Amino acid sequence: MSSYPEPVISVTRLSKTYRTGLRMKRVQALNDISLEVEKGEIFGFLGPNGAGKTTLIKILMGLTEPTSGTALVFDRTPRDATAKARLGFLPESPYFYDHLTAREFLGLAARLSSVPKSEAEGRVTGLLRQLRMEKSADIQMRGFSRGMLQRMGIAQALVADPELVVLDEPMGGLDPIGRKEFRDIIVDLRERGKTVFFSTHILSDVEMICDRVGIVIEGRMVEVGRLSEILTGDVESIEVTVKGVTGKTQKILERVSQHSLKSGDVLLLTVRNEEDVDKIMAIGREVGSIRVVGIVPQRRTLEDYFMEHVARTGRES
Amino acid sequence: MTDRISGVALNTFRESVRDKVLITLIIFAVLVMGSARIIQPLALGEEAKIIKDLGLSAITLFCVLIAILVGGRIVYREVEKRTIYIMLAKPVRRWEFILGKYLGLMAVLVVSLVVMTAAFYVILLVLGIGAPPYLLLAILLTLFELAILTAAAVLFSTFSTPITGAVFAFAVYFVGHLTRDLRLLAAMSPSPVVKVASYFLYYVLPNLSNFNIRPEVVYGAPLDPTALVLSVSYALVYSVTLLLIAVVIFNRKEF
Repeated sequence: MSSYPEPVISVTRLSKTYRTGLRMKRVQALNDISLEVEKGEIFGFLGPNGAGKTTLIKILMGLTEPTSGTALVFDRTPRDATAKARLGFLPESPYFYDHLTAREFLGLAARLSSVPKSEAEGRVTGLLRQLRMEKSADIQMRGFSRGMLQRMGIAQALVADPELVVLDEPMGGLDPIGRKEFRDIIVDLRERGKTVFFSTHILSDVEMICDRVGIVIEGRMVEVGRLSEILTGDVESIEVTVKGVTGKTQKILERVSQHSLKSGDVLLLTVRNEEDVDKIMAIGREVGSIRVVGIVPQRRTLEDYFMEHVARTGRES
Repeated sequence: MTDRISGVALNTFRESVRDKVLITLIIFAVLVMGSARIIQPLALGEEAKIIKDLGLSAITLFCVLIAILVGGRIVYREVEKRTIYIMLAKPVRRWEFILGKYLGLMAVLVVSLVVMTAAFYVILLVLGIGAPPYLLLAILLTLFELAILTAAAVLFSTFSTPITGAVFAFAVYFVGHLTRDLRLLAAMSPSPVVKVASYFLYYVLPNLSNFNIRPEVVYGAPLDPTALVLSVSYALVYSVTLLLIAVVIFNRKEF
């Protein structure tokens, strides 16, 4: 038996081409995507709008078929009901049945997920309590706010206590409190040994909670890996704050720096490395009237990384 | 499996009975049946037959409208509102979804038939006409006609918009009542093209006039039990065939 755990999601050389419009124009939504998601990890699927995130999720949910390549969930094809029985899914901007109350809807979700009748009622009540929906439990969902609908969405995804939870843009349109609640739910799922695969274009969510990320831009997977591997921790630049700067010393200091910003007698300089910091310190000692009051190394953020890739892909295309 | 099918069916049933369209159609049906009181003086001694015929026709017509208007959008609406994502991401097989939608709508039609029939019998009793139980036979056969029409509406809703689906379903209903004329046309036409086309439509489209025994029950004509059994069997085979085609189309569908 292999010592490696069986991947929960396995995608190999997956491509998807749509034909749209009267002229049946070809649109390549996914191009040769490969990735694996292991048991117990939170995997963030990151990309700008229209990058192909939802298309991949639809393929994983058996809602659409790939043009080429394979997608497996629990080592089975996505349409396989035994694979679906082990996962929960929250679509992007979910829309539910207006005519149902929250309790009826979760009851339906439990029934469709083959949750035993003896357990269904307890699960529904527990989820309504956990998501603070008890007061609205017997109201038709037509009057629910965006946040309430999103909570109902996660509740129906969790009703069968699935091993894998797939969330498409779960934080989209939520206020900061709602986003914090969702992050807590995702982290709680990981603590309970669940696997979470979620797509987003909100970088801070990914940085806060993801174990690994996949970055997709214009249908291509440009990076897959641990955040610590992608963001190597190397210092990209150093910000040096200097006080007591006059017009003459400003010009001398700016020769050393890449960027500068002056406010009153305070000058913020961005330099490449420690040697440049030493040069500034030397100038300070020579001039005498200036003081270095801050030295902050700038490390690469996910945003920097992401924006570089977006810019590079834009140039290439 | 049965849990999932009944879950989809129950949801379809709830959705339909909480929809204003259904309630409105049932109210209209009862109003039309009640209007028999107005035509009573014009019936020249045939009021009992005319009122029975009007009542049975109203029940059929409004149930056909429910089957077509609700059925024609039954799958499309799930796709349009993207609730299909939630449904199909659960361990629900696509054929279970189609069958559940169909059975849910059939349950709606059974309840509508029961409500309208009860109103019809109340009206007959109030008008002092009497409520013979044999009228129920015509209503029962209407249910089998609705089984075919609902299967056709569900089939159309897997690939067309509600309006197009309703137009197709209405076409099936009207042509389905003219299939005997199609056979006559095929036999009499000198044109081979018309002959082939007429025979094709005659054999492909459902023969819905088989299910209309209203004149027989209203005017007391004899009924052939073998023909009734054959009509019921025909309805079951035809409905299953239409649903199988719907499943094939729905299985190939991407969302």
